Amino acid sequence: MANRTDPAAKSIRGTNPQNLVEKILRSKIYQNTYWKEQCFGLTAETLVDKAMEIDHLGGTFGGNRKPTPFMCLVMKMLQIQPEKDIVVEFIKNEDYKYVRVLGAFYLRLTGTDIDVYRYLEPLYNDYRKLRHKSPDGQFTLTHVDEVIDELLTKDYSCDIALPRIKKRWTLESIGSLDPRKSALEDDFEEEEEKEEEEEQNAELENGTHEKDYYRGRSPARERDRDRKRESHRYRDRDYERDRDYDRERGRGRDRDRERDRDRDRERDRDRYRLRDEKDYGRDREKMRDWEGRERDRRDRDRGRRRSHSRSRSRSRDRKDRDGEHRKRHARSSTSPRRHENGTENEPKKKKEKKEKKVDDGTDHPDPEIAEANRIRASLGLKPLRP
Amino acid sequence: MIEVVLNDRLGKKVRVKCNEDDTIVDLKKLVATQTGTRPDKIRIQKWYNIYKDHITLKDYEIHDGMGLELYYN
Repeated sequence: MANRTDPAAKSIRGTNPQNLVEKILRSKIYQNTYWKEQCFGLTAETLVDKAMEIDHLGGTFGGNRKPTPFMCLVMKMLQIQPEKDIVVEFIKNEDYKYVRVLGAFYLRLTGTDIDVYRYLEPLYNDYRKLRHKSPDGQFTLTHVDEVIDELLTKDYSCDIALPRIKKRWTLESIGSLDPRKSALEDDFEEEEEKEEEEEQNAELENGTHEKDYYRGRSPARERDRDRKRESHRYRDRDYERDRDYDRERGRGRDRDRERDRDRDRERDRDRYRLRDEKDYGRDREKMRDWEGRERDRRDRDRGRRRSHSRSRSRSRDRKDRDGEHRKRHARSSTSPRRHENGTENEPKKKKEKKEKKVDDGTDHPDPEIAEANRIRASLGLKPLRP
Repeated sequence: MIEVVLNDRLGKKVRVKCNEDDTIVDLKKLVATQTGTRPDKIRIQKWYNIYKDHITLKDYEIHDGMGLELYYN
């Protein structure tokens, strides 16, 4: 009797609202002591009092997957189905951050797409710290805006599969939502200009190789900077979609990513050239090899420090590197001195490189094992050892 | 390389090839790719001994062809 949904409650997504939480987790919550003692006969008002007492977020933890009080209260809200005004009140209150997150979570589960975006996006401005209980029982630190980001972008949080909502740009394109206005918009442009100057100065200071210096000052760079400025002028209209893609990953990283995407593009160009030099520097001369690697490492470090969009630049790297390498090879030098020094190191180093490449076992003769190795590689595991 | 059989007694029987020095987490990931559930929802047991995530198969003395019980969280 205590576990039945309020008969006056409407069905959510075509089913009993409690079914949003899957069966095993639901049974665990019903058997939980906190649920049985504290959550019996709660109404919307008394629920607020309980919510104010929570001090951590989380799903289930421990070997036998015990649910947290946060989970139990979410379940209770699904059971009694408070009015939308009450939920919005939960979200709008500034004093109790856990009540806010509880309301946000409930709205994400039960609200319409438009409501979800409308009420959850202002919470991106809340930077307060939260305690999160991880599945192994330890507490970790997180922030309100990180949690909201998870709710809006991922499809699984706190051991509950979040219902699918439409992407933001879909809603914008049909006109239900206005384009997103970041709270940091004004700061954005001046920050970005300041950062550019800093980067130029930093490159000069590092005392890079002449070639790099030239590249730093090349017209391509100027062009990039102009392109960036242009893009911000037309930001509201033409680049909505890109911006939204950024926004899906969170406002805080939004401006970094746009800035870094352009910077990546030119750094990638630098990087392929450096890498090619390293590759056939190894075949030719040891000194040049060392230099090239130093430069490459320095550039890579710089890249790693600044750039967040690693995956994009790296895939582009890999794709273009082969093409560039072939192009470069055609123009290789045939000086006799270089040829001599190269040949001794060449066979040994080439063999090392070749062995490393085929290390993940995906070309094993037995197709079953090759398939298993492929899956393991995609999970990040080492290949099977006979 | 050993092959482990996991059975949940409700129709899912899965044979997984793995190394002995893989941990239980890795085994769960491999099982998840075959069954389609999430790896953190899977529980591997042997008669009330719930196998912990950070321990290797070798330390649990799981040999080739051994059967384990598959439960869900």
